[in-house]
Amino acid sequence: MNDLRDTGFKSYILDEGSLESISLNDSHKTKLLDGEHLITEAPRVMMFSSLSDRKKGTLGILTVTTFKLSFVSANEKENEIIEEFCQNNLLLGPHEVCLTSIDTIYQLGERTKKRLVPGQNVSGKVKEILVICKNMRAFEFSFKFSDKDSGKSILNALLHHSCPKKHPLLFAYEYKEPYYRTLKDVRMFRNKEDWKRELQRTGCKNWRTSDINLNFHMSPLLPQTIVVPVSVTDSALNQAVEHFRNRCCPVWVWGTSDGVALVRMSDILPTITDRTQENIMLEHVRKSHSEKRQPYIMDLSRECPSPKEIQTSYLKLRELCIPDNIRTFKMQDFKFYGLLDNTKWLLYGSICLTKALEGAQQLCRPNPVTVVLQENNGQDMNCIISCLIQIYLDPYWRTVSGFQTLIQKEWVALGHPFTSRHCLVAYHEAEPAPLFLLFLDCVWQLIQQFPTAFQFTETYLTTLWDSAHISIFDTFLFNSEHDRYLAQTGQTPLVLRSVWDWKEQFMEKDIALFCNPLYNDAYTQPIKPHTAVAFLDIWNQCYSRWLPDLEIRNGGKPPMDLCIRLISSDIHLLRQKLLSGDVNGTTVNGSQEENLSLLKKVNSFFPFSRNHGQIAGLLPINNPLLSGDTLDTQSILNHAAAND
Amino acid sequence: MAKRGSVELLNIDRENTQYNKNLSLDSIHSNSHNSKQDIASWGKTSPSKSYCSSSSTSTENVVSTLERRKVIKAANTENVLLRPEEPPLLQGEKICGQARDVTYLCPYYGPARGVLTVTNYKLYFRSVDRDTPNVVDVPLGVVSRIEKVGGASSRGENAYGIEVFCKDMRNLRFAHKQENHSRRDVFEKLQQYAFPLSHKIKLFAFEYAGVFTENGWCVYEPIAELKRMGVNNDMWRITKINENYDVCDSYPVVWAIPAQATDDDVHTVASFRSRGRIPVLSWIHTESQATITRCSQPLVGVSGKRCREDERYIQLIMDANAQSHKMYIMDARPSANAIANKAKGGGYESEDAYQNAELVFLDIHNIHVMRESLRKLKELCFPNIEETRWLSGVESTYWLKHIKCILAGAVRIVDKVENHKTSVLVHCSDGWDRTAQLTALSMLMLDPYYRTIKGFEVLIEKEWLSFGHKFQQRIGHGDDHHSDADRSPVFLQFVDCVWQITQQFPNAFEFNEHFLITILDHLYSNRFGTFLGNSERERVQEGVKEHTTSLWSYTNSQLDLYYNPLYWANTHQQLVLIPIASIRHIKLWKSYYCRWNPSMRTQESVYQRIRELLILKEQLERQVEDCRREQVTRMTRSNASPA
Repeated sequence: MNDLRDTGFKSYILDEGSLESISLNDSHKTKLLDGEHLITEAPRVMMFSSLSDRKKGTLGILTVTTFKLSFVSANEKENEIIEEFCQNNLLLGPHEVCLTSIDTIYQLGERTKKRLVPGQNVSGKVKEILVICKNMRAFEFSFKFSDKDSGKSILNALLHHSCPKKHPLLFAYEYKEPYYRTLKDVRMFRNKEDWKRELQRTGCKNWRTSDINLNFHMSPLLPQTIVVPVSVTDSALNQAVEHFRNRCCPVWVWGTSDGVALVRMSDILPTITDRTQENIMLEHVRKSHSEKRQPYIMDLSRECPSPKEIQTSYLKLRELCIPDNIRTFKMQDFKFYGLLDNTKWLLYGSICLTKALEGAQQLCRPNPVTVVLQENNGQDMNCIISCLIQIYLDPYWRTVSGFQTLIQKEWVALGHPFTSRHCLVAYHEAEPAPLFLLFLDCVWQLIQQFPTAFQFTETYLTTLWDSAHISIFDTFLFNSEHDRYLAQTGQTPLVLRSVWDWKEQFMEKDIALFCNPLYNDAYTQPIKPHTAVAFLDIWNQCYSRWLPDLEIRNGGKPPMDLCIRLISSDIHLLRQKLLSGDVNGTTVNGSQEENLSLLKKVNSFFPFSRNHGQIAGLLPINNPLLSGDTLDTQSILNHAAAND
Repeated sequence: MAKRGSVELLNIDRENTQYNKNLSLDSIHSNSHNSKQDIASWGKTSPSKSYCSSSSTSTENVVSTLERRKVIKAANTENVLLRPEEPPLLQGEKICGQARDVTYLCPYYGPARGVLTVTNYKLYFRSVDRDTPNVVDVPLGVVSRIEKVGGASSRGENAYGIEVFCKDMRNLRFAHKQENHSRRDVFEKLQQYAFPLSHKIKLFAFEYAGVFTENGWCVYEPIAELKRMGVNNDMWRITKINENYDVCDSYPVVWAIPAQATDDDVHTVASFRSRGRIPVLSWIHTESQATITRCSQPLVGVSGKRCREDERYIQLIMDANAQSHKMYIMDARPSANAIANKAKGGGYESEDAYQNAELVFLDIHNIHVMRESLRKLKELCFPNIEETRWLSGVESTYWLKHIKCILAGAVRIVDKVENHKTSVLVHCSDGWDRTAQLTALSMLMLDPYYRTIKGFEVLIEKEWLSFGHKFQQRIGHGDDHHSDADRSPVFLQFVDCVWQITQQFPNAFEFNEHFLITILDHLYSNRFGTFLGNSERERVQEGVKEHTTSLWSYTNSQLDLYYNPLYWANTHQQLVLIPIASIRHIKLWKSYYCRWNPSMRTQESVYQRIRELLILKEQLERQVEDCRREQVTRMTRSNASPA
């Protein structure tokens, strides 16, 4: 009763006879960027569809270059269709990923699954490999029809290049394409001006910029300009900084004209028992308050999950999002909420949102007080909580340019160790942990609760997470501002290309989807989210989009989103008409018809759809999802007898 | 976009807020901001307090605010200004008992002292001890059980009083003064009017005299609905063989059956099907002629009895669809239950006897399992959600798994009918619970008509009411046997499934969530006659149509409350909806199950913003039109009178 009807047209059932008709030519080769080199290439590689239990796949050419892993399908029609429904990245094709976004590589046998380590060398025949990416994408390739040894050479190329031993081996150093910066609204916080302007914008008094860290003399992990209490002298800072982990003394990040500030710092070094220096600093913070109130200190290392716990949680979540086969998928589906609970991912999100709320409440209660965030190294949870507090309270951070500026300030300038947390380089002390993803997830939860308060969309957040692993942009490439400075001025100077320059990656039509049509720029009040797990949801667009079986055809949020875009564009047009006084002609603009036809085609993961079944004219129904859905009959029957 | 919808939305907003006619988008926001004030003002008071400051702490859910405002407005102009603790009354409603100095032990805002009133329709409490009164307004039909708490000698504050257990996921506790049997009168009145049938009193629906512009009893005309689908035709005929309900007392008068089947066949088949519920047409695909038919289990028994006429009758259903030489019989039950039923004379079709028919078990559990599952869910959700391990808690109730199973079953039916052009016969044991869920849901997925407001009403009238879902037994209207084993949330589960589909396809339905919640509220309220009785026959005998008001009279007289502003007219939308029946897409319907908890209310609705945008668009369109007309007039004038 379970007929295995094909759900997509792209499938080739694995029989060798049908393969002869497929020819691969130069148009199927991957296009190289300026400075990118080909490492190895394998013809006639089968890429399996997810959850197809290796029964369905596409044939094409698999390539490893110095920048990416690339699969180009022999079926040109398919490539076109993907381009229509899928975000079109100018740097990466639909089946291509940057090497830095690869997380784990497995060699697959009939019944074996062997995890390989970067740098390892594989000898012997390689039949199949599984590549898992940091953004939960998985690729499964079979070399059954390819040339001899091509599997081995692809695998070894991946193992050697996906996670280089040294930072200067990352592709950003080799990329030769000239860069014309078009960024306007984003402040990078690399110079004093940006910090000064932020002080002015917030109207926060009793704080000043200090050049004490010029040329990173005081602390390699802080930016060259820091904002400190007016009362503290540079020499006192120099003295105090010795006592803090990572030399992260208290620095100002945000404040209000009510005279309160948000301050970040690290813990005192564990070897130091005398807390005098810390107290001196906190006393200066107290004096900076307009009424000299004691600051509210939040110890984040004690109250929030550690990077290690976040990584464990992420790996469990990823397991849920990349089931090995349909059987695993169904087993997961069977107890999904329990498994999701076990990942603790939503719990950690809830903790972050709750902690931030606690801080925000101190900053805007009657008789508000300054909040000091204190954490171990000062560069992990501090980034998340500090950003969330500011997003709650300051509507500027909910705009696109504001949000990008916020990330520049809190994550980039104040030195979240991206190289280490995103495991870009294979060095020993790397401690991978997707804190940045946890932050984006929290922001996504806020968008769900306040759909009109944010200028950007979930598509923007998902794209940002993808872009965080593209080694062309410097934004998320370094552990600190100091490292960036060294790279920029070193022997092979790196051209700084900001990820915020979205035109480097996308055409206008894709960038337009970053903008939230529901955004209400009059929404300026603070937001107060529900933070309990019961109010949080799983971010399906980001985590489930690589499982086409979970995509709702013609459903989900995108059709709704497009509808709203149509209404907004109508409003815009009508306004223009009224302004210009030219009120003749129909109200329907030309692109509307186009949009309507698009509306009929979009599915729930748009613009990350990987489903093209509707082209075949049949309603796709996933039999694997429907059959054999027996409940845990025994445990249920404990409550009621089978007599009905 | 349904044009009419937005025009009417505009009207509600005019009614409820003093609308600023200024055209800028911002001015519209400034209105809606008022409602956000209490969110904005946090930080000044403790969080829980700030929620208290909303205008009324009533336990109504948020979506019905519009409705509430109307009631309050009406009430304000009449007697309430003089005696604020008196409840607003419906036509035909009268006060039956009242107790002063009662404390409502609100689980969210703490004890509130006030007046408790019992009418023949509702329980009404209004606090007198605070500026923003705490109001509890519960139709007595919702009550499943009332108990006295504590005795004359009980010690402790608020230890003496009444506890009311409700069918809609909440319980209420009231504390009385421990003197002069202060609770006795109210308790007796509550008992009487909450369980009128146990006290030989008529249900309130028979007293209610509300007047509406629409007559909901005319919504469903069985023959018209069959004609809409193209019946009669060569293959299917309409019959009134059950005119006196003597072939099957739980079926309606009008059926559609295979044209070739004779009246004799019908009688023989009826004797082979449990309670005479023979296979009849639910839905027919107007192009492919593939059908969904429904019935009860065959009376196979342990000995594996066969009935040639039944086999032939099934063959006729198959033959009525020329596109396929196969047919599916979807047995909603787990196979173990189907087998167990043989011992009681029931069972399922053997594939030997029914050639070309394939039998599929859909593994949906019975009414007792579902009742237990909902009980656990209530424990989890009321009064406060179990925050630690919330997700595991939800899982342990099995509620979402049951929902998933039902949806998956319906999707399988849709797959067979739509993609394979094959007819499907659906049954369970008696064919009035799970069968109704499956046929109604698959019809909703297949036919966009049922996704309109009136179409959905027709769907409920047809698949649930006319084919004899035993509402009286499953809900226990006016009956005090709260632990009756026949009670079960089967219809609630169906509405939950509908909600799940609306979540997956937010553009595909003409109605909004508030419409679904209104239906569920009046499923229990006993204000309308719609859900009374167990079958069409019982409703005819009771004269329900003549003596009560239909729920659809009420809903169809205020359709503007129920429109989905995102509803995309038929031409633009997918005709057939295929929801993903994976638990990853199935969510707990918090705005229904957890709605009594004020902190569970969603903060802000996308719909509100869309309404604002639609209103703005309409205003602009009018302005452009005015401007155009003015230009035309000016032009003709200047042409007519040369300068």
